Amino acid sequence: MPQPEGLLYSKEHEWAKFDGDVATVGITDYAQNSLGDIVYVELPRVGSAVAQFASIGVVESVKAVSDLFSPVGGEVVEDNATLEADPAAVNRDPYGAGWLYKVKVSDLAQRGLLMSAADYDAMVAATGT
Amino acid sequence: MSEGQTASLRRTALYDEHVALGARIVPFGGFGMPVQYAGIIKEHNAVRRGAGAFDLSHMAQFELSGDGVAAWADELAVNAVATMRPFQARYNLFCNERGGTHDDVLFYRLPDRWLLVVNASNAQKMWDYLESSNDRAGVRLENLHGRRALVAVQGPRAVEIVVALSDVDAAALKYYFCAEGTVCGARATIARTGYTGEDGFELFLDGEAAPRVWRRVLELGAEPAGLGARDMLRLEAGMPLYGFELSEEISPIAGGQRWAVKLDKPRFVGKAALERQIAGDTYERIAGVILAGRVPARTGYPVWLGKRRVGEVRSASVAPSLGGKNIATVLVEKDAAALGTALDVEIRGAMHAAHVVPLPFYKRDA
Repeated sequence: MPQPEGLLYSKEHEWAKFDGDVATVGITDYAQNSLGDIVYVELPRVGSAVAQFASIGVVESVKAVSDLFSPVGGEVVEDNATLEADPAAVNRDPYGAGWLYKVKVSDLAQRGLLMSAADYDAMVAATGT
Repeated sequence: MSEGQTASLRRTALYDEHVALGARIVPFGGFGMPVQYAGIIKEHNAVRRGAGAFDLSHMAQFELSGDGVAAWADELAVNAVATMRPFQARYNLFCNERGGTHDDVLFYRLPDRWLLVVNASNAQKMWDYLESSNDRAGVRLENLHGRRALVAVQGPRAVEIVVALSDVDAAALKYYFCAEGTVCGARATIARTGYTGEDGFELFLDGEAAPRVWRRVLELGAEPAGLGARDMLRLEAGMPLYGFELSEEISPIAGGQRWAVKLDKPRFVGKAALERQIAGDTYERIAGVILAGRVPARTGYPVWLGKRRVGEVRSASVAPSLGGKNIATVLVEKDAAALGTALDVEIRGAMHAAHVVPLPFYKRDA
């Protein structure tokens, strides 16, 4: 499945959608599909500082625990509280209802370290499945 | 996974079917096996509510024949073999001299031979062990691993599916009994056994016939189900998995299978060690726990009773049949295994409350 345009992507299969200096963060469709049924998501606390590409939480599927790396750095301003009761939303709608958290980005130059949809698609295609 | 990783793996007769169904293939017991198709929870639910089809051809099938099989096997395995009636199936375990478990297996008694099904992960070890232990003229062993297929049809709708494709009166077959007949016209042994906690059947047949049987089972409404769903189903049903609840270090007693150990047999390998273990009653043992929170436990996570570390998690899963609660088996000291005991599971450095419950976690309505 091609990735949505207008989002930026990390090598670790997260996406970031910028609205001014606030970025909404999630994992890609490729990531949720690779993980399988997601049963628990551990997110950074609202108010905490996260560094770009740092390990800041976990996504747990039925079979495995995977580290979550933040595609952007800054202050966490909101998290998706509905995921506590319904972590499967990340499987059903990774770019919509399955968003993870929002960050007030400390430096918009971070965008330069992320990929376009086309570049991300090319990286996934080269990885093979 | 990449082509390079799967290329060296053995393939069952149903490998191409799995790939065509979009299965995710993983290495298991030397074979490339489907861990999931549509999703583990969805496949689990299909088995609990309708029917699921499993390819279990990676499990090793050994054929035992000769008039000495029962007496020989009774001196090796912990459960009784000679008392099995024709067409009866029975769970059994082989132990080492320390009482640890070589493997847990199923024996099927047929009129002229015995079928022994061992875990894929133990196939070579068990073949070598049985061959080197066979000092009898009246016992012949044949290794059918990889040649014979095994398709399991499990779930409340399994009976109508197997009735539709077999000449055997599958509905009349009693639990843990089997029959010889045909499925889709191919010779097969049809057994009312399984590893899911549901009613169901296991169909032993030639690899050549397996694809058409598999397709017919799916046409009749079974969902293909992979090893991921199988593990979730068996854990809910409180059934041990070799390498987790049983191992060369974990005896049938410690692993909760004492019911299968027949101490009234005059001798079998490991008997003295198991008797000592029972008499001492100090061994670490398997218990079932339910976690209070939503954070899943994983194999190897430490288990605490107050400030004392008492053991570790062996298997864990979310349990869709228990409303999505997190369940686990733990291997813990005796006092920590008592029903109702409040324990903590350490997950990434934090303590998460759990309490000991009876096994199985899930029992189907009779």
